[in-house]
Amino acid sequence: MNAPTFGPTSYHPTKGERTSLEIKDFNLWYGAAQALFDVAMDVQVGMVTALIGPSGCGKSTLLRSMNRMNDLIDNLRINGAIRLEGDDIYGPAIDVIGLRKRMGMVFQKPNPFPMSIAENVVYPLRVDGVTDRALLEQTVERSLKAAALWDEVKGRLKENALGLSGGQQQRLCIARAVAGDPEVLLMDEPCSALDPIATAKIEELIDELRGNYTIIIVTHNMQQAARVSQNTAFMYLGRLIEYGDTKRMFTNPIEARTQDYITGRFG
Amino acid sequence: MTEIRSGRARATAYVRPKQTSRAVRYADKAADIVVTVGGLFVILAVAGIMIFLVQVVVPLFTGGSLNESREYTLQRPEGASLAILTDDTNVLAVEVLASGKTRAVHLPTGTVLASPTIDLGGQKITAFSKSIRSDDFAVGFADGTVRFGQIGTRSTLIKASDLPPNLVRLNDLDQTDGEAVFHRRDAEQFQRTTFSVILNEPQAVAPAGRAIAQLDYRVGGTVERPTRSFLTKDGDNVLRLTRAETRVNLLTRRETTTLESATLPAMSGSGTIIGALMTAQADQVYVARENGEVLRFDTRDLGVPKLIETRRLTADGVALTTIGFLIGEQAIVVGGSDGSVNVFFRVEDAAAGTSDGHTLKLAHELERQRAPIRAIAASARNKAFATADATGVIWVRHSTSARVLMKLGESSRTEVASIGLSPRNDGVVASDASGRLRFWAIDIPHPETTLQTIFGKVWYEGFPEPAFTWQSSSGNDEFEPKLSLVPLIFGTIKATVYALLFAVPIALAAAIFTSQFVHHSVRAVVKPAMEMMASLPSVVLGFIAALILAPIVESFIAAVVLVFIALPMSLFAAAYLWQLLPPASALRWDGLPKFMFMFVVLFSGCWLSYAAAPGFEAVFFAGDFRSWVNGTAGSGRPFLVLLLLPAGFLAASALVRRALNGAMRDRVRQLGRTRAGLVDGLCWLLTLVAGAIVAFVLAYVFTAAGWDPRGGVLDTYVQRNTFVVGLAMGFAVIPIIYTIAEDAMSAVPEHLRAASLACGASPWQTATRVIIPTAVSGIFAAIMIGMGRAVGETMIVVMAAGNTPILDWNVFNGLRALSANIAVELPEAVVGSTLCRMLFLAALALFVMTFVLNTIAELIRQRFRRRAVQL
Repeated sequence: MNAPTFGPTSYHPTKGERTSLEIKDFNLWYGAAQALFDVAMDVQVGMVTALIGPSGCGKSTLLRSMNRMNDLIDNLRINGAIRLEGDDIYGPAIDVIGLRKRMGMVFQKPNPFPMSIAENVVYPLRVDGVTDRALLEQTVERSLKAAALWDEVKGRLKENALGLSGGQQQRLCIARAVAGDPEVLLMDEPCSALDPIATAKIEELIDELRGNYTIIIVTHNMQQAARVSQNTAFMYLGRLIEYGDTKRMFTNPIEARTQDYITGRFG
Repeated sequence: MTEIRSGRARATAYVRPKQTSRAVRYADKAADIVVTVGGLFVILAVAGIMIFLVQVVVPLFTGGSLNESREYTLQRPEGASLAILTDDTNVLAVEVLASGKTRAVHLPTGTVLASPTIDLGGQKITAFSKSIRSDDFAVGFADGTVRFGQIGTRSTLIKASDLPPNLVRLNDLDQTDGEAVFHRRDAEQFQRTTFSVILNEPQAVAPAGRAIAQLDYRVGGTVERPTRSFLTKDGDNVLRLTRAETRVNLLTRRETTTLESATLPAMSGSGTIIGALMTAQADQVYVARENGEVLRFDTRDLGVPKLIETRRLTADGVALTTIGFLIGEQAIVVGGSDGSVNVFFRVEDAAAGTSDGHTLKLAHELERQRAPIRAIAASARNKAFATADATGVIWVRHSTSARVLMKLGESSRTEVASIGLSPRNDGVVASDASGRLRFWAIDIPHPETTLQTIFGKVWYEGFPEPAFTWQSSSGNDEFEPKLSLVPLIFGTIKATVYALLFAVPIALAAAIFTSQFVHHSVRAVVKPAMEMMASLPSVVLGFIAALILAPIVESFIAAVVLVFIALPMSLFAAAYLWQLLPPASALRWDGLPKFMFMFVVLFSGCWLSYAAAPGFEAVFFAGDFRSWVNGTAGSGRPFLVLLLLPAGFLAASALVRRALNGAMRDRVRQLGRTRAGLVDGLCWLLTLVAGAIVAFVLAYVFTAAGWDPRGGVLDTYVQRNTFVVGLAMGFAVIPIIYTIAEDAMSAVPEHLRAASLACGASPWQTATRVIIPTAVSGIFAAIMIGMGRAVGETMIVVMAAGNTPILDWNVFNGLRALSANIAVELPEAVVGSTLCRMLFLAALALFVMTFVLNTIAELIRQRFRRRAVQL
C-alpha cells in the first residue's frame, strides 16, 4: 500500500442540542510512539457516536482517554484537551474519580464482578456509600429494565453474575454503567465477544438508551456503526479522517480513504 | 485444500514428515514413566515417614508383654517368708524367712543353691523392713531389739579364663559352683552373681520383753553423714521413732553415732495396726489400721511429734489390708479387703483444717482386684508396683497412668507369702507357704504413657491437683518424668497466634500496596526483595531475636509498645499532609522524593515513640512498664482508658452523627466553605472529647467492677518472651504470606479492576470491594501456609522463647513449642526410651498439624484456582 497522505479532515456531523465532549487538537504518545495526532471533534449530546477504523488506528486509545483509563499506562504523554461539558478532564483541578462517575464504560469483554447480579448493578451506589435499601432495589430494577435484562434475571438477582451467558453479562455491565447515573456511556467494542443474537439485543438496547445518554461506541463492525449511530468518526493511523453524519458517511463519504475502508478495500 | 495437498501453493519449503519419530515417542514414554515413578516415590516417602513415626510411637500405648513364665514346686520353707528379691538380670531369687534361713533359687531352672543362714542367736524375727531402693534392711525381735544390715545380690564380671573349676551346668548359659551363678554374657565374659547378707549388732528399742510388731527403716542423709531412722511398734501399741546419725571423724576415722528417740502420741480409738510407714527424712509417719484409718504424724521436730490427721482411706465396710509407699515416698498405696487399690497423695490444702496445712487425698483410683489385697511390691525405678491378692493373682500396675500393665497368675488359687518386682521392672517373683515359687519375665517399656497421661490432666506426686505438665528430666533419680504434650501444643499455638497477629496485617497491607497501588516497576523490586527476606535462615533470626532484640525490647518496652500506635498515626498524618500538597508538586515529587519522605516519616515516628516513651510510661504504666505488668505498681485504669478510646470514639461519633446529622447538614450547607470546614472540625473535636469521656467513664466502671487489663494476656514480664518471638517469627512468615497473597491479588483479572475504576470507585474501594473479595481464598491460603510455617518453625522459638512449657496466654512470658522441644531434648533422649518415643510423638503431632494446615490451604487454593479460571 502507498504511504498515506493526510489532507484536511472532513467534518460534517449532525448537530445535537449541544456539545457533550469536546476534543481539541488531542495528541497522545506511548513513550516515543505517537498514537493520536491532532484529533479534534465535538461529540453531540444525546446521540450515538461511532468510532470506526482499522485495527490499531487509535479508536480505543481515544475512548480510554475520555475517562482517563489510560492513566495507568507507562510513559503516557498527552497534549491538547478533552472537555466534558466544559471541564478540562486533563486539567489540574479535575477529580478523576468524579470524572469516571460522570462517564460509564462498557468494555470489549463482559466483565461482571464475581458477586450477585443485584450487587453488580448497584456497585456504583455501594461505592458512593448508599445504604438506603429502597433506593438500591429500585436502582436494580430500573437499571436492569433499561438494559433489557430484567425479565430474564428478575427471579435470580441473588445468584452469581458469572452464571449468566455472555450476552446477558454484557447487558448486566451496561446496567451497571447506567446505574451510576452517567452523562456519557463509553462502549469499547461491546459486541465483539458476542454472538449475532446477543449483538442484536445490545444494538437494540443502544438505540433505546440514546437520548438519555450520550453514547460513544467503538466498533469494528461497519454495519453496526451504520445501524446504531447518528454520527460516525473514521480514524486511520491515529488521525481523525472524517467525522460526520452516519448516513452520509456510509452512502457518500467525502474522503477517499473513508470510501476505501467502508467498501472493504482495506481494514 | 487440494491446492495445499498438491503442494503448489505451499507457504513453506519444508516438507514435514507426518509421522512422529520413534525417538520422540520413546522420550515421551520415558518422561511419562519417570514423572509417574517420581511422583509415586514422593507420596511413598511422605507416607513412609508417617508410617515410621506411627510405628515408633505405638509402643507408648501398648501395655506390657509376658516373655516367660515359670513355676517351681520346692521344699516347704522353714518359717514364714519375710521378703523375696531378685538380682538385676533375673538369674537369682532370694527369699528371707522369719527363722533366719534364706533360700537362693536359680530362676531359669528352679535349682536351689546354697545360701547363708542369718545368725539370729536363737531369736525369731517379728518384724522386717527393707527400703525400696537400697539394700538396707532392719529386723525386729520378740525381745524388743532391732538389728540392721544389708541384704542383696552382688554381680561382678569375670573373664572366662578366671572361671573356677568344677562348675555344675545349670542351663546353656548358666553354671554354678553351688553358691554363685556364673552367667555367660559372651564368649569372653561371665557374670558372677551371689547373694550376701550382713547383720549388725542388736540395739534395744522397746522395753525388754515387748516384741517389735511393726518396723519401718530408712537410710537418709549424705554418704558422709548417713542418718538411719526407724519406726517401731511394740506389743503394747507404742510407736517409737528413733533417728541415728553417724559421723565419721575425717582424721581419726572414728565413727560416732548419736541416737535420738521419741514416742509418738498415743492413738485414740482401736483397731489392729496393719502397717507403719516413715519417710526417708523421718518427718512424716503413717500408721494404718485394719479399719481403714490412717494416722499421719508430723515428726519434723523429734522432740514434739504431733498427730496431724486421722483419715479413713477405704470405703465403708472395707478393711485396709495392706499399705506401702511408692518410690519417692510421696504416694501411699492402700489395698483393701474388697480388692481395691488406691493411691493417696499428701497435698497442700488449707481448707482441710490440719495443723500443717496438708491432707491426704485420693489421687488415683485403680482397677479393683477380685480378692483382698495381700501384698504390694513397689518398683525401684518408677511408679509401677505389683499387688497380689488373697488368691495369689498378681497385677502389675502403674500409679500415675492408673492402669493395669499386666495380669499374672490369673488361675492361681493359693495365697502368696511374698512378692518381689525385679530391679529393672522386668520380672515378678512370688513365693507361697507351700514352697511354690513362680516367676514371670515381663517387659513393660513404657508404663507411664497412655493417651490420658499425654493429652489429659494428670495428677503427679507433689502437685496440688491434676495438671498438664511437661518436665522430662531432672537430677533426681526418684524423679518421675511428666510427659503431657498439651503445654507443647499450646506453646506452638501461642507462638503461631502471636506471630500471625503481627505478620498478617503487615504482609496483607504490603500485598495490597504492591499489587494495587504502586507502579509495577516498584513491585518488580519490592517483591523479590521481600522474597529474599524468606531466605534469611531462621537460626539467624532466632539468634538476633534472642541476643539483640530481646534485650532491646526489654529496655525500651514502652517505646516498642508506643511504636505500634505512633507509626501508623505518623504515616496517616504524613499521607494527609501529602494530600494537601498542590497537585503539581505532588506529581513532581511522586517518585524517589515521596519514597524518601516515607522513610523520614518512619524514622521520625520511631524517634517520636522513643522520645515520648518515658511520658507514656509515666501516664499509663505508673512509670515502669515491667513492674506495671507484673502487677506490683500502678492501677489498670489509665491503660484501660487507652484501650477503650477507639471504642469510645466510635460510640460518640455514631451518637453525634445520629443526633445532629439532619439538622446540621442543612445548616452547614448554607455556610461558606471555610465556615463549614470550621464547624465540621469543631464537631470532630467535640466527638473526640466525648469519646475520651466515654472511655474514661467506662474504664472507671470496669476498674470499679474489679476488672484489670493485667493478668491473662498482659502479665509478668520475662526477657525471652512471646512478644519477641512474635516479632522474629512474624519477620520469618511475612515474606511467605506476602508473596502468596500478592500473587492472589495480582491474579485478579485486570478487567475487573478496570470495571471497578470505570464505575467511579477509588483504588482503595477497588481493592477492598473487588480485589480482596475475589482473591480471598488465595489470601486465606497464604495465611494458612504462613501458619504452617510458624507451626513448624524451630530455631526462633528455641532461642527466643525461653522454652518454658507453661499454659499461659501472657505475651510477656515464654513458651515451649513442639518443634523447639524436640530440638532441645534430643540430646537427652536414649534411643527406644520413653522420652525418645515421646519426642517422636511430638514430631508426629507436628506433622499432623502442618499436614492438616497445608491440606486445608491447598484445598482452598484449588477452589480459588477454579474460580479464577471462571473469570
